[in-house]
Amino acid sequence: MAAMDDSVPIAPSRGRAAKGAGFARTGRAILIAASSLLLLGYILAPMAWLVSSSIQSEREIVSKPPHWIPHEPTIGNFAAIFASRESAVTYETRRSRDPASGGFIPSTAKNLLPSLANSFIVASLVVILNLLIGVPAAYAMAKIRFRGRQASIYGILATRVIPDIALVVPFFLFIRNLGLLDHLSSLVITYLAVTVPFSVFILINYFESLPDELDKAARVDGCSRWQTLTKVFLPLATPSIVAVILFAFLASWNEFLLALMFTQTPQSQTLPIVIASFTSDFTISFSFINAAGVIAVIPPVALAIVFERYIVSGLTAGAVKG
Amino acid sequence: MVEIASVSPMSTIAATARRHKAAVRSSYDERSALLFVLPFAIVLFAVAVFPILYSFYISLYSLRLTRPNRVPFVGFGNYVTVLSDPQFWEAVQRTVVFSVMAVAATAIIGLLIALLLNEEFPGRRVLSALLLIPWAIPSVANGLMWKWIYDSNYGALNGALLQLGFINSYMVWLGDANKTLALIANAFVWKEVPLAAILLLVGMKTIPADLYSAAKVDGADAVRRFFHVTLPALGPSFALVMIYETMMAIRHFDLFFLLTEGGPGDASHVVAWRIYVETFRNLSFGTGAAMSYILALATLALAYIVIRMLTRRV
Repeated sequence: MAAMDDSVPIAPSRGRAAKGAGFARTGRAILIAASSLLLLGYILAPMAWLVSSSIQSEREIVSKPPHWIPHEPTIGNFAAIFASRESAVTYETRRSRDPASGGFIPSTAKNLLPSLANSFIVASLVVILNLLIGVPAAYAMAKIRFRGRQASIYGILATRVIPDIALVVPFFLFIRNLGLLDHLSSLVITYLAVTVPFSVFILINYFESLPDELDKAARVDGCSRWQTLTKVFLPLATPSIVAVILFAFLASWNEFLLALMFTQTPQSQTLPIVIASFTSDFTISFSFINAAGVIAVIPPVALAIVFERYIVSGLTAGAVKG
Repeated sequence: MVEIASVSPMSTIAATARRHKAAVRSSYDERSALLFVLPFAIVLFAVAVFPILYSFYISLYSLRLTRPNRVPFVGFGNYVTVLSDPQFWEAVQRTVVFSVMAVAATAIIGLLIALLLNEEFPGRRVLSALLLIPWAIPSVANGLMWKWIYDSNYGALNGALLQLGFINSYMVWLGDANKTLALIANAFVWKEVPLAAILLLVGMKTIPADLYSAAKVDGADAVRRFFHVTLPALGPSFALVMIYETMMAIRHFDLFFLLTEGGPGDASHVVAWRIYVETFRNLSFGTGAAMSYILALATLALAYIVIRMLTRRV
């Protein structure tokens, strides 16, 4: 399939060959169009169903067969999430809120907004710390020769092989002994541990692709190592820094296992944890859960589509050596 | 970079000049490098070195949070307990079944997508941007989305199959022990396929174009070119995808927690789920740590074997 097109007619009977090439070209176009549609459906159909059922009422969501396109679209589920803070939703009040459907808005709905804030705080802190820790380390490993350089690079590789589930036991005891259970800082620390090696990886790759002469020239001009990094390399490293910000943010925003271990109350629970707590509650309407799911999905999807280039180059840079 | 530079004569001169200055420079360089790397080294120690050692240490003790004051040393007792438990081996079996299904499907679908995106056609850019969506969303959103699709009363799968005439009445999906692992694998594959496709696409882009023109001159059609040029040249990228996805599948936890909690019965009780149950529900940290250690070693060994196998064939 890779080189199906541009079949240049070599045969002497030019007319027939050209006709054959024409057929091949139409066939190729049909094949590509069909597989593109198939791929589009494969990616988007599950997401479309998530979005569609998030704007259905409790009454509509239980229709058989399902309404693929809502007949009476409602933003009630989203309104419930953003209004739940003002008045606590209880078993008694939730019916009055959506009388037509007897809306199954759980009392834990009021935890969603704080958990959204928690997710943002944790992800932002992890991004900032990733840059502060990762950039100098990557610069040193890419451009300065020092003892222990090779060992640090092997260390990074090792961290990428260890399963996160294997880290859970030591992490949990470590965090408990520090007295940080149920604090946002427990998440920041452990997410840092999970994200920083990958960030350094991306940055090393990028710094190594910048010419050594830049480094030498800056040093000859009397720059200290710190100045060389901040004034010469940092302005040139924007693409890799954008990639680091994206990966650290997405990893923290999406992380589930560690947050499940360390958080117990709404004061530290992140969005995935609150949503997961809904899915195990059978009294909650799926249309409401899906609305919460849509909220969790919007930021990463927006970032992925806007910064597609940076993500793809970061993924491949990380993969080439990993 | 360094290797290439040292070959050219210009930089040999520079290197000689640098060697004169080296005595003055290097101690400053060593010091600044140390300062630059220190915060990272601390984090690396916290994430890699310390947990591995600490986890091993815990695995030698009978640490149960139900009786926190008595923590006897049991040597390799926890490992013996874990490895002689038939339930553990059943979990291993399920993990293997899940991983084989998930990795094979991810590699095949990823390859097909990469083949498509390797072509030039209008809309390709949009398609590759949309491809990132499954990769980017939280696993919790992925889990609840599929749980709802598979829902036996109101889910999309039943609805679509009924409307298309494939089934006559609504069926039980996740609750059917024979289907559970395959359905969870499907949700896993949907999220993992974009990365596999991207890595394979990068591999395809590095195949020299003259290999294809040579094959064409030899009269190889598109199918032959795929099997004799594209596939062999993709060896390293395929190895990478298989290793990475195997590691991801073996350790996968989120979907098992969100979709089935190990059920129905024990149908989706895989090793990762078992570690969680043993540690955080039975509060037996010693055996939990021993199990995580076994899982980590198995992952390493498997990665090594796959690399050996694939590099020998190429």
